[in-house]
Amino acid sequence: MQGGSSGIGYGLKYQARCISDVKADTDHTSFITGTLSLREENEVHLIRLSSGGTELICEGLFSHPNEIWDLASCPFDQRIFSTVFSTGESYGAAIWQIPELYGQLNSPQLERIASLDAHVGKINCVLWWPSGRHDKLISIDDENLFLWALDCSKKAAQVQSKQSSGMLHYLSGGAWDPHDINAVATTCESSVQFWDLRTMKKTNAIEHAHIHNANYDMKTNHILVTAEDESGIHIWDTRKPKSPIQELPGHTHWTWAVTCNPEYDGLILSAGTDSTVNLWMAPTSVEDEAITESIAESPAQQADPLLNSYSDYEDSVYGLAWSSREPWIFASLSYDGRVVVESIKPFLSRK
Amino acid sequence: MGAEDNVPLDDKARRMRDLLSSFYAPDPSTNNAPSNPGTLDAINTSSFDADQYMNLLMQKSNLDELLQRHVEMAAEIKNIDTDLQMLVYENYSKFISATDAIKRMKSNIVGMEANMEELLDKIMSVQSKSDGVNTSLFEKRENIEKLHRTRNLLRKVQFIYDLPTRLGKCIESEAYVDAVKFYTGALPIFKAYGDSSFQDCKQASEEAISIIVKNLQGKLFSDSESIQARAEAAVLLKQLDFPVDSLPVKLLEKLEQSLGDLQLKTDDIENASMEPNDPKLGKVPDSVHIMAHEGSIRGFAEAISAYRVIFPDSEGHLIKLAQDLVVKHFETVEQCVKGRISCANLLVVLRTIWTDVLLMDEVLSEAVLPEFSLEAAQNALKQHVASTFNYLLHDISDVLLRVNVSSKEAAEENPLQVALEASKKALLQGSMDVLLDFRQLLDDDLGLLVQLRDFVSDWVQEGFQDFFRALYDRFFLLSGRKSSSSQDQGLTAGAHGEKVLAGLVLVLSQLSVFIEQTAIPRITEEIAASFPGGGARGYENGPAFVPGVMCRIFRSAGERLLHHYINMRTQKVSTLLRKRFTTPNWVKHKEPREVHMSVDLFLQELKETASDVKQILPQGLERKHRRTDSNGSTASSRSNQLRDDKTNRSNTHRARSQLLETHLAKLFKQKVEIFTKVEHTQESVVTTTVKLCLKSLQEFVRLRTFNRSGFQQIQLDIQFLRTPLKETVEDEAALDFLLDEVIVAASERCLDPIPLEPPILDRLIQAKLAKWNEKNPITP
Repeated sequence: MQGGSSGIGYGLKYQARCISDVKADTDHTSFITGTLSLREENEVHLIRLSSGGTELICEGLFSHPNEIWDLASCPFDQRIFSTVFSTGESYGAAIWQIPELYGQLNSPQLERIASLDAHVGKINCVLWWPSGRHDKLISIDDENLFLWALDCSKKAAQVQSKQSSGMLHYLSGGAWDPHDINAVATTCESSVQFWDLRTMKKTNAIEHAHIHNANYDMKTNHILVTAEDESGIHIWDTRKPKSPIQELPGHTHWTWAVTCNPEYDGLILSAGTDSTVNLWMAPTSVEDEAITESIAESPAQQADPLLNSYSDYEDSVYGLAWSSREPWIFASLSYDGRVVVESIKPFLSRK
Repeated sequence: MGAEDNVPLDDKARRMRDLLSSFYAPDPSTNNAPSNPGTLDAINTSSFDADQYMNLLMQKSNLDELLQRHVEMAAEIKNIDTDLQMLVYENYSKFISATDAIKRMKSNIVGMEANMEELLDKIMSVQSKSDGVNTSLFEKRENIEKLHRTRNLLRKVQFIYDLPTRLGKCIESEAYVDAVKFYTGALPIFKAYGDSSFQDCKQASEEAISIIVKNLQGKLFSDSESIQARAEAAVLLKQLDFPVDSLPVKLLEKLEQSLGDLQLKTDDIENASMEPNDPKLGKVPDSVHIMAHEGSIRGFAEAISAYRVIFPDSEGHLIKLAQDLVVKHFETVEQCVKGRISCANLLVVLRTIWTDVLLMDEVLSEAVLPEFSLEAAQNALKQHVASTFNYLLHDISDVLLRVNVSSKEAAEENPLQVALEASKKALLQGSMDVLLDFRQLLDDDLGLLVQLRDFVSDWVQEGFQDFFRALYDRFFLLSGRKSSSSQDQGLTAGAHGEKVLAGLVLVLSQLSVFIEQTAIPRITEEIAASFPGGGARGYENGPAFVPGVMCRIFRSAGERLLHHYINMRTQKVSTLLRKRFTTPNWVKHKEPREVHMSVDLFLQELKETASDVKQILPQGLERKHRRTDSNGSTASSRSNQLRDDKTNRSNTHRARSQLLETHLAKLFKQKVEIFTKVEHTQESVVTTTVKLCLKSLQEFVRLRTFNRSGFQQIQLDIQFLRTPLKETVEDEAALDFLLDEVIVAASERCLDPIPLEPPILDRLIQAKLAKWNEKNPITP
C-alpha cells in the first residue's frame, strides 16, 4: 500500500496548511496554495499541472501580507480567491484578485477586493458556494457565522446577516451544501450544526464530538462526510442525524481533512496527522445501510473500503483538494510545504 | 451322370402326383389356367394341342434334337403307361376290401329291435307302481308336519312365559350374556303380540331387562371392573339397543379429566426436578412421582385400548386425546427450557415422555405418536440448545458488567484482573459445562434421542457458532463502539447509562485474545472429541462450527478493542490538552514559573493506563524499535533545513545555535517511525498511548501562536515530561523525537523563540520533581 513516488511534487518555501482547487479555470488543472510562516514574508502560489500531467508549474507567485490559515478559490472567477490570515495576535479575512498583467510584472501585488473585517475573534474559514455563481460569502469565526454580500465590480463586501453560534459552541469550520444554496453546516467541538441562511436559524444538529472537518457529497444530496480526532471518518445522512450511515477507520492519529470526489460517487479522500492520505471507497447511498450493519457479521466478506494509502509524506497533511476539471487528480499539501499531485486512475478501474 | 438321372426321375414323380390330384380335383380346368400353348412346356397342360406342338418342335429343332426328342418321348410314354396300370390295380384292391366290410355290418344288425321293445315295457310298469305308493302315503305325512309345527309353537310360548324367571336367574348369577341373548330372541314376539296375550310376560321381562341394563351401565362406568368386563357390558348394552352414542362421549370426558390429572403430575415432576438445591430430598419424590406417573399412564393406555375395543368409531377422538397429552407434555418441556434447566433434568423429563409415548403407541399406533413426539422433541431440543447458549452469553456479560460496578466501588485491589479472570473462567467453564451437558444428551440411549443424535451435534456446533458471533456483537455493544440498534435494548440501556469504562474495553480486548488463542481451540477439540460431525447438515453448507473464521473474527476484535481502548485513553488526554491550549492567551503568556499542572494530569492519566495495563496484559519482550511494523511515518522538516537556517539567522545568535542544534541532531537521527503496530503487551499499549498523546500535543502546539514566555513554558513542560515518560515507554528514540518535535513546533509558532537558559530550566524542573516525589512517594 505504499504510495511510492507516483505523485508529482512541488515545494513551497515555508510551511503551509491550505490548498484549493481553482475551479473556475476550465482550461487547466490548477491549484492555489498559501504559506504559513509566522516570521517570514508569506506567499501565494498559483500552480498549474502541465498539459502532459507530468510536471507542476508555478503560474504565479504573489506575496501575501500575513500567514495564511485558510484559502479558497472563487468557483466562478479564477482570479479571485479568499484567505484567512493571522498576524500572530489577530486574525483577518480578505478577498483578493490576481492582477491581470501578472505575467509581465516582476513581483506583482495582489489586489485586495474586500476585507471581511467585521470579525472579532479567530476566523476559521471563508466559504464560497461550491456549485456556481452566487454573490454571497460565508465566513465563520469562533463564535459567529457571517453572511456577506460580495460585489466584485464595486469591490465591496457587506455583512448581510450574522448569527452567533450560541454559548459554549466554538465553531471550527464549516461546509456549504452544494445542493441547497441556503444550507450551511458548521462544525464545533461537540456537534455539527445546520443553518438556514434565509432565517439564520439552526435547523438541525448532529451530536458528535471532535469533528475537524466536514464535506458535502457533490453528487448525492443529504450526504455529509465528517472527519474526527480519534474515531475516524463518518458518513451521515443529514436527514438521520442519530447515527452515521457508515464509519471508516480514518487515520492512525487525527483525521484532519476529508473531501468527497466531485465526480465519482463514494470516493472519499482523507488526510491525517499521521502523514498519510487515504483514498476510500464508500458507497454512500442509503440502501447500503444494511450492508454496513453486517460488517461485524462477516468482516472477511466485506471489501476493504480503503483503496490506497499514500504515505510518502514527511509531515502531517492538512491541505487536500480534488481537481474539479480532472476529477481523478487530487493535490495534497503537507505541513512542510510540499504539494503532491496524485492521480487515482489506477484505482478507478477497480470499482 | 447320376445327378442328371435324378432330375428326370423327380420330374416324373411330380407329374404323377399332379395327374392324380387333377383327377380328383373338383374342377380340373382351374389347374392349368396360366398355360401357354405356344411353348414346348405346354405338353403337360390340358389345353395341349398336339399339332401345334409338333409344328413348334419342327420349327425350333434340328434333326438331332428331333431324334433325341423322339427317343425321349417314346420312353416317357412307356413310363406313363406303366404308371397308369399300377394306379388301376391299386384302386381296385381297395374297393374290394370296402365291399367286404359293408357286407359284414349288414349281417350283425339284424335282431336288435326285439330286445329294445322288451326293455320299454319293464320301465313302464315300475313307474305306475311308484305312483301308487306316493298317493297312499301323502295324507299321513301332512298330518305329521302339522303336529310338529304345533309343538314348536308351544315350546316358544313356554319359553316366553318362562322368560322373566329365567332372566331373574340370569341376573342372580350375573350371566348377562345369556340374559341378553334370551331377551333379544323373544323380542320379535313381544313386538308382535306384546300388547295382547303376552302383556304380563312382556312387562315382567322388560323389568328384568331394565335391571340388567342398569347393572350393565354400572359395570361399564365402574373403574373397579376389568376392562374386558366393561367391554362386554358395552357390547351387551349395544345389543339391547341402548343409546350407546352418548356413552363414548361421557367416557371420553372422563378420560379427558384423567388426562388433566396426568398433566398435573408432569408438572409435579418438573417442579421436583427443578429443585436442584436440595438433591437428597429432591430425588426421592422425583422417583416416586415418576412411578406414580408411569402407573397412571399405563392406566390411560389400558383405557385407550379398551375404548378402542368398545367404541371402534371413537378412534379419532382417542388419537386427538393422546396427541393432546403429548403436546401438553412438550409444552411443559418448553416452559422448562425457557427457564434454566440442565440437560440431566431435561433428560429425565424426556425419558418420562418417551415411555409414555411408547406405552400409548402400543395401544394406539395410528396416532403416530413417536413421529409426532420426535418432531416436538426436535423443537424442544433446538430451543434448549439456543437458550443454553443464550444463558451462557448472559452469564459472561453479567460478569463483565460487574466490572463497571465493582470498579466504581473500588473495593478490590485489581478489579480489571479479577474481571478478566472471572470472565475467562465463566467463558471456558461455561462452554465446557455446556458441552458436557449436551454430551449427556448424546450418550443417552433413549430412543427419542438416538434418532436426533446427528441433529443434536449439529445444533451444538451451530450453537457455538452463533454464540461466538453474538458474543462478538455483545463485546462491541459493551465497549460502546456500536450504536445500539440491535435487539438487546435492555442491556444497552444499562451499559449506556453510565459511560463505558476504558478498563472494560481493555478486558474485552484481552478476552477476545483469550477466546482466539485458548477458548476456541479447546472447544474445537472438545467438539471433535465428543460430537462426531452430524451428517444431517448437507455438505454444501459446510460444517456448522468453523473455528478458523471465529478465530479470525476474534483476532480482529481483539485488535479493534485494543485500539479502542487506546483511543479512549488518548481522547481523555486530548480533551485535557485541548483545554490547556485553548484557555490561556499564549501570545500574552507570562514568564514560566513552574511546570504547568496539566502535565501532572497527563502523567496521572498515564499512570491509570499503566495500572490498567499491568493488571491484564502480559509483559512484552524487551525489544527495540522495529521498522517493518510501521504503518506511517513522521519526520518533520528534514527537507527544510535551509529554510530553518534562515529562520534562525534572523533571531538572536544563541537561540539560533540551539535550534540549529536540535535540527541538526534530528537530521542525523534515524528516521523514526511513530505509529507502529500495537501489540497485546503492557509496554506496547503504554508506548502507543504516550506516542499518540505527544503527537496530539504537537498538533495542538502547531495551531497556536506563542510569545517568548509561552514558548518557554512549553519547553519547560516538555523537558519535565522527559524523565517520567522514559520510565514508562519502551521506545526511547521515538519518545525523544516526539518531545523534540513538540519543542520545534512551538519554536516555529513562536514570535520570538528564545529558549530558557539551561540553569533556569534545570532549577524549575528540580523544584517540580521534588514536589512530585513528595506527592507520589513511589513513582512508577
